Amino acid sequence: MRSGRVPAGTPQTDDLGAWTEKVLPTDLSAVRGTEREVLGVLRDLGYDEDHLFAVRLALEEALVNAMKHGNAFDPGRSVHLRYRASPEQVEIRVADEGGGFDPGIVPDPTADENLERPCGRGIMLMRCYMDEVTFSPEGNQVSMVKRRQP
Amino acid sequence: MDIETRHEGQCRVVSLRGSADISASASLRETLLGAIERGDTQIVCDLSQADFICSDALGVLITAYLKARGRGGFLHIAGPHAHLGEILETTRLNRLFRIYPDVQCALATQAE
Repeated sequence: MRSGRVPAGTPQTDDLGAWTEKVLPTDLSAVRGTEREVLGVLRDLGYDEDHLFAVRLALEEALVNAMKHGNAFDPGRSVHLRYRASPEQVEIRVADEGGGFDPGIVPDPTADENLERPCGRGIMLMRCYMDEVTFSPEGNQVSMVKRRQP
Repeated sequence: MDIETRHEGQCRVVSLRGSADISASASLRETLLGAIERGDTQIVCDLSQADFICSDALGVLITAYLKARGRGGFLHIAGPHAHLGEILETTRLNRLFRIYPDVQCALATQAE
């Protein structure tokens, strides 16, 4: 497994299976096909529609954020996706080639004063629909886990 | 995503079919904002056949809602299925939009 964009301390090998890696262009038209691929893997593993919906939503938000905010739609930059899935859980990492950001400064989109803001809900949705969401210290990689609960 | 629009009385019903994802946001924006620009400021957005919505598409709905409201109109939501209804609750956008079980309920409320 290549490890160039894995944060320090992340296990490189374990019993959760091999990582699948994809390098995506900064092109929003690549998002849907990527989602379809990942969801196909999960569907084959028996994930139900609720889990599939949650993973699709989080993956969409992560990929769009990477292309839009991370790479600033620069076609010279790529988005790096890696994922691995078992019957118990799926792990997804999305990294961009931008300068990163501090997720702690993103305003709460559910606050009354922010409800009319048309943007700023992506990270909140990722956190609500996945079981774990963490950002690299540089803020240009998000790691997400969704567990398949009984 | 397919978008169909029709008039029902004074209202413009905009029906979404399929996934309101990032690849559909531009056409959704064009449809909704275009309708408002042309004077259709009373809008019911029918989500009963939509199976997905991303934050970008939510942003389009909010922008259209604000624009319609600014012109004395409205944008209501009708028929979101469980997953979409949950997103509207999670984001607390159910506090911003009026959400009806279906288009007929939304239209009936306006007719009262």
